[in-house]
Amino acid sequence: MHNHNLDISISKLSKIEGHADVDIKIRSGKVKDIGLRVMENMRFFNQATRGQSYNSVPQLVSHICGTCSIAHLTACIEAVEKALEIKPSEQTMILRKLAMYSMMIRDHALHLYFFVLPDIFNIDSALDLPKEKIKLLHEAMHIKSAGNNLSNLIAGRAVHAPFEQVGGFSNEIDKKKISKMIKELKSVRSYIIKLAEIFYNCGWEFKRKTNFVALVTSDFSFLEGKIKSASGSVIEEKDYRDHLRNVVLPYSQASGFEFEGNEYMVGALARLNLNKNALCSNTKKDMKKYIDVFPSDNIYHNNLAQTIEIAHSIDHSIELLEKSNFKKEPLIKPMKLSGEGVGVIEAARGTLYYWLGIDEGKIKYANLVIPTAQNLINMREDIRKIVSDIYNHKSSSEELESKIKKEVEKIIRAYDPCMSCAAHFLKINWV
Amino acid sequence: MIDEKKRVGIFSLTCDEGCSIYLIEIFNKKLFDWLKKMRLVCFLTLSDKREIKNLDIALVEGVVTSEKDKKYLEKIRNNSKILIAMGSCAINTFPSGQRNNFNNEQLEEIKDHLEKYNFLPRALALKEVVKVDDEIIGCPINEKIFVKIFEKYLI
Repeated sequence: MHNHNLDISISKLSKIEGHADVDIKIRSGKVKDIGLRVMENMRFFNQATRGQSYNSVPQLVSHICGTCSIAHLTACIEAVEKALEIKPSEQTMILRKLAMYSMMIRDHALHLYFFVLPDIFNIDSALDLPKEKIKLLHEAMHIKSAGNNLSNLIAGRAVHAPFEQVGGFSNEIDKKKISKMIKELKSVRSYIIKLAEIFYNCGWEFKRKTNFVALVTSDFSFLEGKIKSASGSVIEEKDYRDHLRNVVLPYSQASGFEFEGNEYMVGALARLNLNKNALCSNTKKDMKKYIDVFPSDNIYHNNLAQTIEIAHSIDHSIELLEKSNFKKEPLIKPMKLSGEGVGVIEAARGTLYYWLGIDEGKIKYANLVIPTAQNLINMREDIRKIVSDIYNHKSSSEELESKIKKEVEKIIRAYDPCMSCAAHFLKINWV
Repeated sequence: MIDEKKRVGIFSLTCDEGCSIYLIEIFNKKLFDWLKKMRLVCFLTLSDKREIKNLDIALVEGVVTSEKDKKYLEKIRNNSKILIAMGSCAINTFPSGQRNNFNNEQLEEIKDHLEKYNFLPRALALKEVVKVDDEIIGCPINEKIFVKIFEKYLI
């Protein structure tokens, strides 16, 4: 069998965000080709943003992706504010952190409970969890609901949040709801530890030498800091384009990226590897056993890293809600109407870069680097190694195809890819 | 025993999938109740099952932007008793069909891509392609309206 030819196709991979296909070609016993194709149709945001007014463009780009909409909104607002010299207030920064946390809580919970747990329990869907495990599904709903309610309170809604604007927040926080929100966040904390225990004990392991890159923030709030890599680079946000290179992937409606000439990984695993000391003290105390796992080069630890980030998002949100005295503030006006600005944040799936040029208040150009696009080459190389390893060790050819499919789907899901996002900004014009 | 649960499918055409993501948030409170009356037979976000057959209710988000979208929607329609358009992309093409409003310069830039991937001349709302039985407005869908309309067909 070691000289076989084999073609394996996975069409419309399920339990990820958006649509992707995988084609694997084995020729004379060697993995010849791995086609990881993003199958989302383009919606042409690079053209649509051009000519838009600086204060309407964040709401427009929020529609790049339903699940990541708060991340696009926040990164785009940062780029506009840097371009037009708007300095957001301290309260605005706190509210942005809370909005980002609300997204992390619901988005990571969706990935971990609904996309990954079925692979752990060898079932098709979280809805098929056996009776003795069904409590996990109820807990998932409670956690997501807490994240969703936090989005509603801070940003007006979880998807396409209306309150987050250039220069601040348009609505005052309903203070009457804060204590109830804190109570709800506290009520789901124990579920997170239970979930961490599952990923800590699941025994999944896949390692391949790679680099990790993340925006390292002082309070693990995903918003402001320096871009750092496991290979030792430290980069200012505005200088990112000297270090990232766009790579065209054939037959895909998305393109990949290299960092300083090599593939790399972004996301929760990269953040935990590079910045675990900045986690909230309550999280550090109660999740110590799991945090001690990092730094790790086991890609499946991205699941454990996301679980720790839910805990941190809950704990830091509680702290911020308890100590802040929110007041009505006006939106801060721009100092000028033309300029160039870079916004970099950590979205759920990794570093999100926005680079905007604004002329007389209108967007002249917009370049984005999407987390999933940055992970595409690393994912492809991981798939190549997994397929080779299985092919070289499996003896029965009947099992081969199903085993390869299962393991390839599992590793792709560990990255938590978002194909809706990845399919945009195909053409990058470094001007 | 005859299975009286409604067979429900949830489908995404070209869009940001914001409506189906928001629907999963509506599930936080409603799913367990609805599962007593329905079986989710096709929802790739939550399951690998792909049965587009004998559906009682199909919920569809997004615009019809390519030939592939069009064929997929026709298949869903031919296999569903009730087809509901979910969200403003599916109802009136905006925002995912924003290329419909592009000027000549913008259209020129995307021309090659449209050809290469078999896009339609313009992005279409669902009702421009197939019969739509009901619509749920919002971007993303409005929670109260979704619950009201969906439960009407779930009984």
